Amino acid sequence: MIHQNPLTLVTPVKNEEHDNLDALLTKIRNDIINGLPQQFENLNTIHYARWVLLEPKDADGKPQPDVGVRLVFSSDFDGDESQHLSDISTKCAQFFDDMYSHCEGYPAPDERTPESRKNYFSQWRVKSSAFFAGAPGRTLPQIIQENELRNHIWNFIKAGSWNNKSATEIHNAIKENVLATTGFEWATQSTKTPVIKWLGMAFLGIILLILLPFIIIWVLIINFFLEPKDETLGLTPSQVDEAHIKKLEEYEDLQNQNQFTQVLIMKPGQIRLITLKGLMLFAKALISYLFVNGKLMGIPTIHFARWVMIDNQKRMLFFSNFDGSWQQYLGDFIDKSGWGLTGIWSNTQKFPRTKFLFAAGAYDEEHFLAWSRYFQIPTAVWYCAYPHLSIKNIINNSYIRNELFKDLNEQQAQQFLNRF
Amino acid sequence: MELELKDIQGYVIRGYKYMMYSRYVMLNVTEPTLAKKFLKNNVADITNVTHRPTTHCLNFAFTSPGLKALGLAQENLDNFTREFREGMTSEHRQRLLGDFDSSAPANWRWGGVNNEEVHILLMVFGANKEIALNYADQLKQQYIASGLKEVFSLDGQTLPYNKEHFGFRDGISQPTIKGSGRKGPPEHDINAGEFIMGYKNEYNVYPDTPILATLQGETTLLPFDASGSGKRDLGRNGTYMVMRQLQEDVDAYWNFINEQAKNEDGTVNVEASTKLAAQMVGRWPSGAPIVKHPDADPGRISDDDNFFYTDHDPDGLKCPFGAHLRRTNPRDNFEDNSVKESIRLTRRHRIMRRARLYGDPYEGSALNHSPDGEVGLMFTCFNADISRQFEFVQYTWANYPKFKQLYNDPDPICGVKENPLPGTEQNFTVPGKPVNKYVTGLKKFVFTKGGAYFFFPSITTIKYLSTI
Repeated sequence: MIHQNPLTLVTPVKNEEHDNLDALLTKIRNDIINGLPQQFENLNTIHYARWVLLEPKDADGKPQPDVGVRLVFSSDFDGDESQHLSDISTKCAQFFDDMYSHCEGYPAPDERTPESRKNYFSQWRVKSSAFFAGAPGRTLPQIIQENELRNHIWNFIKAGSWNNKSATEIHNAIKENVLATTGFEWATQSTKTPVIKWLGMAFLGIILLILLPFIIIWVLIINFFLEPKDETLGLTPSQVDEAHIKKLEEYEDLQNQNQFTQVLIMKPGQIRLITLKGLMLFAKALISYLFVNGKLMGIPTIHFARWVMIDNQKRMLFFSNFDGSWQQYLGDFIDKSGWGLTGIWSNTQKFPRTKFLFAAGAYDEEHFLAWSRYFQIPTAVWYCAYPHLSIKNIINNSYIRNELFKDLNEQQAQQFLNRF
Repeated sequence: MELELKDIQGYVIRGYKYMMYSRYVMLNVTEPTLAKKFLKNNVADITNVTHRPTTHCLNFAFTSPGLKALGLAQENLDNFTREFREGMTSEHRQRLLGDFDSSAPANWRWGGVNNEEVHILLMVFGANKEIALNYADQLKQQYIASGLKEVFSLDGQTLPYNKEHFGFRDGISQPTIKGSGRKGPPEHDINAGEFIMGYKNEYNVYPDTPILATLQGETTLLPFDASGSGKRDLGRNGTYMVMRQLQEDVDAYWNFINEQAKNEDGTVNVEASTKLAAQMVGRWPSGAPIVKHPDADPGRISDDDNFFYTDHDPDGLKCPFGAHLRRTNPRDNFEDNSVKESIRLTRRHRIMRRARLYGDPYEGSALNHSPDGEVGLMFTCFNADISRQFEFVQYTWANYPKFKQLYNDPDPICGVKENPLPGTEQNFTVPGKPVNKYVTGLKKFVFTKGGAYFFFPSITTIKYLSTI
């Protein structure tokens, strides 16, 4: 099984090149309806990519000392990171040269080699603290292929006449048809997708049980000593800067999927940092043991999400790619996992008032929505390899593929047919 | 908590069922002072929730430009929700609501980007046409004299048995508002803050409300903000009202359905047509829910709202997942949530609907589908949070084709795109055994002809607005 992985590059932009880079990103964004340049598409490993310009000021307008504008690149790709870096340094070199020649320290034109580029990218890469993939273990070509298979079968069912046929007979007819169709040879092999690791969950449970007394004390300390001093944003959605929201909305709901980029500022002190790190570890464990089948904490719409600490752990980036609208996404977060969301994000500044780390916070709906817009920043360029597929579609397509060449009883065959 | 019913304009809680005729007049303020005087003179005639008028009703609503035209300070206007201030026609909102092509705001008759601004909406109701129009004429003399220019007006009526033009009984399922004196079954009995500002909503917090930032007018009229900011509140006992004029292409609708369901010899199969149409709606023309009557219309006019999906129809075999009704109010079957969770979540996306029909009072069916001229309905709904309620229902539940496990299925009644991107399918899936059936190439039959977001204030706030 090939794993999907995140890459994040945070590179300083040359002072005098800021406008040029901005113009280039705008051009790419305007052209993206036709995809990215062919060399990028040809990599055939990148599910999502985005570029974001980090301005050297925080959400409240306070300047960040000692930094200039930075360019952030993020990709969700198949395989290991070193290969991915090599790929973009060789097969997609022109595209990245055009962009990163605006960045400080990028090899000069006559010094650009696959190695020098890769060294540069490696130098500026930042590790993710946690990473979620909605359909783990599926490569990009696989996702595209499996959808073609689903469409093929759907058309076959639609065109056929199935009177008096049992579900198993229809299932067999589909099997034969697919076997007889060139291009679907791969489908006879089932695909392995991750399953819930109960052993890992049990282990996690035991560890939590052992740590429970400490966790309780820890939460009490936060509740009694830190939370009363927390500063909150206190705005409702209608009070957040109009121009800011307009800018964000310009790049929303253009298709059935959306992106979300936040730059959060950590609350001061070691306790908050340790809390966040602890929760990141916990999230990581849950992501690999439990959230393996299309849902992050019960939210069924997230393709990829990541948390990345930058600036000596003073700030945190949060990126996600999801199905549906912003209102639905944030609403789902509150409705399905308000406590988890509160536990993690309340370690960053101006979060709505919390109690015992996990309570209140995001459940204060109006203030939470305003807070999340306030710390959201515009994404400059957003690329998605399959905007027409929801995460539920992708997961369903894998089931179709795996059930197609199994021997199914009548009930199972009916379930299979229900997938279309 | 009891609501201050005498301060709440009636239409949000009561449907004025016995008011068979209505006229909505959109006005533009040219003389603010006179306009405020007009409001002042009529404030006593505004119908509140406790009134039980038998002859006529009167309610007022205001757009954001309308509040500005009356002289509300920008700082005070800024505290209204962004959806309301921005209106229905921004590019982003156009994408959310799906108003493109002939439904684009550039082609609207009112409220659109090429129309004169609507400021104040006068909603006049009468027990019959004569009463309604007499009353409207009386008011007309006053508002004309007050420099209020008529931008658009539309007469609405209610068909017998509350049918809409496609031929289906409408407006059956409504939430009830806690504390309003009306009580529905628990799953439909919703916290007042979802529909009226100044009360707690389904998150158990107070909805965003327009508090007074800068003092102007007789501020002492206004109550203090319930959430305790210490500021005066313009929103209390008021709400937001969404209004959209929706044209129904009855002829194209039934022709499409008849074509899909025709007999082998090409003739109309009335029974099959009616069934397919009912599957798309989720109720039979009589109003009877298809989840309870999957095979045929029981015939009697039905107000049956006592039904659920999870236990009776988990696979959508009776009521398809893509049916208009099942999408826009998923009841106990919201995505793949448990029954309890579904109900909890559905409650956060309810709207209070109030539709009135316009045009030829025509009830369509498989064999009769040629009304005289344009027909449609003035869709109206109330909600305290336009984004989480109306816009969510329209976008996430109706327009978004990935609802539940579907791939390419928009709401067949109100979510279809007129000109989808090349290669985009628009289907309606009818779950079946052993295989599903598919209606492909859905066409758009409901077109937006106008629309706006309104503030539907308390009577106190209308009084206050006349003093600014």
